[in-house]
Amino acid sequence: MGVAGSYPLLFAIWLVPLAGAIVNWAFGPQLKRAAGIVGCVAIGLPFVATLAAWGIATQSSGAAVGANQHLLSWMPGFDFGLLLDPLSLIWALIITGVGFLIHVYSVGYMWPDTAIARFFAYMNFFVFAMLTLVLSDNFVGLLVGWGLVGLASYFLIGFWFFKPTAVAAARKAFVINVVGDVAIMFAIFMIFAKVGSTSFVTVFAHVPALGNWLFLVCLFLFIGAAAKSAQIPLHTWLPDAMEGPTPVSALIHAATMVTAGVYLVARCWPLWNASHDAQVLVGTIGGLTALGGALLGVAQWDIKRILAYSTMSQIGYMIMGVGVTAYQAGVAHFFTHAFFKACLFLGAGIVIHELADEQDIRRMGGMRLRAPVAFFAMFAAVLAISGFPGFAGFFSKDAVVFGALEHGFPWLYVLGIVTAGITAYYMFRLFFVTFFGTYRGDLDPAQVGVTNPVEPAAHEPAHGEAHAPAWLMAAPVAILGVFSVIAGYVMIGSNSPWNRLFTQTFPSQNLAVPALSEGWTTAILFIVMAAGIAIAYVRYATPAALADAPARLRAESQRMPAVLVRLFYFDDVIDWLFVRPSQALGRFFGSIFDPDVIDGAVRGVVRVNTELGEVVRGMQTGLLRSYALVIVFGAALFAVYYALQGVAH
Amino acid sequence: MALVLILLPIAAGCALFLLPRGERTISRLAGSAVAALTFVLPLVAQNGGEFSVRWLSRPFTAALHFAWTGPSLWLVLLLALCTYCAIVATNTAQNRSMIALLLMLEGCMMGLFTARDILAFALFWDLMLIPPFFALIEWGTHRDTAWRFLIYNFSGGLTLLLATAAFGVLSGSTDVIGSTHQFAGSWAPWIFAGFAFAFAVKTPLWPLHTWMPNTYAELPPPFVAVVSAVQSKAGLYGFIVIALPFLRTSMAEWRWLIVALALVSLLYGAFVALTQTDMKRIVAYSSLSHLGLIVLAIVSANPIAIKGALVYIVAHGLFSAALFLILGYYEEREETRSVLKLGGLGAVNPKLAGAFTIAALAALGLPGLAGFAGELVILTGVFRAGYFWPALIALIPIVIASAYMLRLLQDTINGPQLADIPQRRDLTFAEALAVAPLLAALLYVGIYPHALLAAVMH
Repeated sequence: MGVAGSYPLLFAIWLVPLAGAIVNWAFGPQLKRAAGIVGCVAIGLPFVATLAAWGIATQSSGAAVGANQHLLSWMPGFDFGLLLDPLSLIWALIITGVGFLIHVYSVGYMWPDTAIARFFAYMNFFVFAMLTLVLSDNFVGLLVGWGLVGLASYFLIGFWFFKPTAVAAARKAFVINVVGDVAIMFAIFMIFAKVGSTSFVTVFAHVPALGNWLFLVCLFLFIGAAAKSAQIPLHTWLPDAMEGPTPVSALIHAATMVTAGVYLVARCWPLWNASHDAQVLVGTIGGLTALGGALLGVAQWDIKRILAYSTMSQIGYMIMGVGVTAYQAGVAHFFTHAFFKACLFLGAGIVIHELADEQDIRRMGGMRLRAPVAFFAMFAAVLAISGFPGFAGFFSKDAVVFGALEHGFPWLYVLGIVTAGITAYYMFRLFFVTFFGTYRGDLDPAQVGVTNPVEPAAHEPAHGEAHAPAWLMAAPVAILGVFSVIAGYVMIGSNSPWNRLFTQTFPSQNLAVPALSEGWTTAILFIVMAAGIAIAYVRYATPAALADAPARLRAESQRMPAVLVRLFYFDDVIDWLFVRPSQALGRFFGSIFDPDVIDGAVRGVVRVNTELGEVVRGMQTGLLRSYALVIVFGAALFAVYYALQGVAH
Repeated sequence: MALVLILLPIAAGCALFLLPRGERTISRLAGSAVAALTFVLPLVAQNGGEFSVRWLSRPFTAALHFAWTGPSLWLVLLLALCTYCAIVATNTAQNRSMIALLLMLEGCMMGLFTARDILAFALFWDLMLIPPFFALIEWGTHRDTAWRFLIYNFSGGLTLLLATAAFGVLSGSTDVIGSTHQFAGSWAPWIFAGFAFAFAVKTPLWPLHTWMPNTYAELPPPFVAVVSAVQSKAGLYGFIVIALPFLRTSMAEWRWLIVALALVSLLYGAFVALTQTDMKRIVAYSSLSHLGLIVLAIVSANPIAIKGALVYIVAHGLFSAALFLILGYYEEREETRSVLKLGGLGAVNPKLAGAFTIAALAALGLPGLAGFAGELVILTGVFRAGYFWPALIALIPIVIASAYMLRLLQDTINGPQLADIPQRRDLTFAEALAVAPLLAALLYVGIYPHALLAAVMH
């Protein structure tokens, strides 16, 4: 699996986004809106270079495709280099490709914001960090990228830094992600102790050397993956991360960064292949996250939060896929998901813009007339995420679910199918409530069940001319909508570009024939999905439902089960288990233990000594000058003594 | 040449007192020039400048022996850089006295870090306590903070001197730093204990740390930058050049006690930093936490961990100097150190906020900056030495560090702007000049710590 060779544009792919970030950061005030152009070019050029690499790679076949270039070395075992192989290529393609579209969209979306240069500096920096993550040829470089994408995410979640909610969400995301970072660090310790290297090639060639630590290594790597990819129980930061601008949610918290965990497991396939316990663990967590995210998506009203939970749920699918060693399926779902989820977020962004930052779908309605591009593109994307046959998500979701069965995890197969039904339901719920019926935003919020309407105040107030050309936002959404339909077709057939790329990347496994054929799986999935859509239609889109929408929405808001509204109590449990005890401990140590216990003991010792020292009290005049005199006098005596000694010798 | 590093700053410091009392500009220029010179000199003559004269021959041989090879070089460079930055950042009516004391402090610590003789090391140990003591008396808010600083550290100095004397008498010479012969015998554990107590007080290590938070909070920013960044490393440096080469077996006997104290320091400092409201005390307690990691590295005695310790010594020096200087800038502008009273300052002075962000990120161990390189290499080595659980536990404070550092950062620069904050100036040129070298060095060491990792440790 070693890759030699070089790709002359590899450094450009990696560093041009960084250059864009530096230019935007240093010259922001001068650039003003030209920052958007710098930002887009800095992603567009690497995209072209990556696309060329994809073109070259899909012509030939197998894992030897790619480039490996050495950068620098800290010490033996800590060597840094860039690696472009099929796996990192597919990620780089999405990061720069979908990233470029989102950058173009952002020019329009952020048009009224005075801090647009800062925004593009962060976005470009994110792309650089994400490329560092996927292009590194060793665990430490991956960890560096891992930490830096967390930083970019922190900056962009807290982009509107005057909003207390955004600031809190940024901190929460960062801290939870550091939990993942240190877990990966610990995995590196174990790997280095056993193998003496951190480079992928060496480590994966010596998997048996890990011995009985293999599962522990996988466990700690996966804790890192779970934190970044919002897997249960480290998922709670993702919905809060929606405080960031919508393009950020699309790029970082949907299409790319949150899939880093999928990348990590796929990258470490030799470890997962060797450890069945790790497969069970990761597959199960992935399956539970898929189901849990979908259930929570049902109960949300904020359009971005619904999408956030759907992201969590879809990444659960991917994690389940790579966890059960159906690596190609998991990676395929990453590929298609990037298009339809980015499309959904950007479409939602158009709607939010149209409604002056309203995000509650109960206060929307009838948006198909006011935002037709978003309507059609999101329709394609909703069908794709539901797994409607022929649309992009269909191919990959089918593969993941069938992969679970094929690799001997029938319970995950069931989870996957149930989740598919729920997904179809809540995505169409979003779609119907937002786009159908009549506009409800001018009604009294309480009438549609909104008890605490948020006053949106994200953007600086727009002044007169502050309107971007509409195509800046519409075109990327339309393109992503098209890809939501066609992205799956690169995977059809054994001689497809996709298969040429991946046949030798992941090993073919000898699998037992599963109880159900792939055709049956497809049929079952279709029935379950159709049922989900039908229920959503009956509840939200029949003429009667549309006519009675405000009352129905109000009733649904009031009847929502508490367990879903409180998000399965994860936030509360984390608060009670970790946050409060830490603070109590800190307060106890700082204001009781330090001054009273430690210093109290010292004072006790001092008091005893003071009483003994009454005798020599006369010498303690308390005058600084006399102390200084004594010190100088003593030093002089010392000097004289040794001077005399020197003479004596 | 090594003598120049010691005597030049001290002489320059004395000379500054010839200037009139309220003088600001000349003392700053002259002081920063001297500090810059002490940075450049060892850099251009990396192996030059050994100085040695016989000092004692009875009851043991000792020499005034100074050189800057091995780890000394890095501490000398760190000290000179931090002193330079501190002097550039000094901007008060007491400039003359403050810079004079800073230069004297630099000279004394140069003596400590270049000493090749343990007795000379012990001499400069006591001398380096005097300038901060006077600074606390002069500019601190409570006199007992100064006395507590002095009494704690002098008692360390006392055990250091006793241990040095015993070491000298029993082994015949204290002119040994840089060599590696093991010191054995029934006294060895107690001699080690004497050294270790002094080093533990200075670092500090829990539970000997209670002098530190007030000292760091009350020292003026330029002073606390040097004291926290460099003087706190005196003990760790002592562990590396005295305890490790000569008393390794004794240290191994005390190993689990030290590991336990290091872990307690790591966790204790982190938890307390989480709840403090005084900005400088947050960073002071974070220092307790961070330096516990270096103690852990040293006691593991693993070569990789020791290399990492040197990286982290430099990293911590750089980011804590930067943080304390920046906190000083904020205190000067806002006239408070309480995070509860601050907020939204990022919109008021964005460049200052940017510098603060970089320093805080380095402190919480962001990959790509120096702190991360140190943490990673240290714990890789500690783990490899067989300390499975200590390495795992030592990761917890890294998570907490991200929480308290972001709290410090965000409560200052983020959030809604507080009412009636007057428009305060952004980072001035001189202020930028003081922190930029530190931040640049953090980035350089973070990406390429190779030179530090390659340093010959003994």
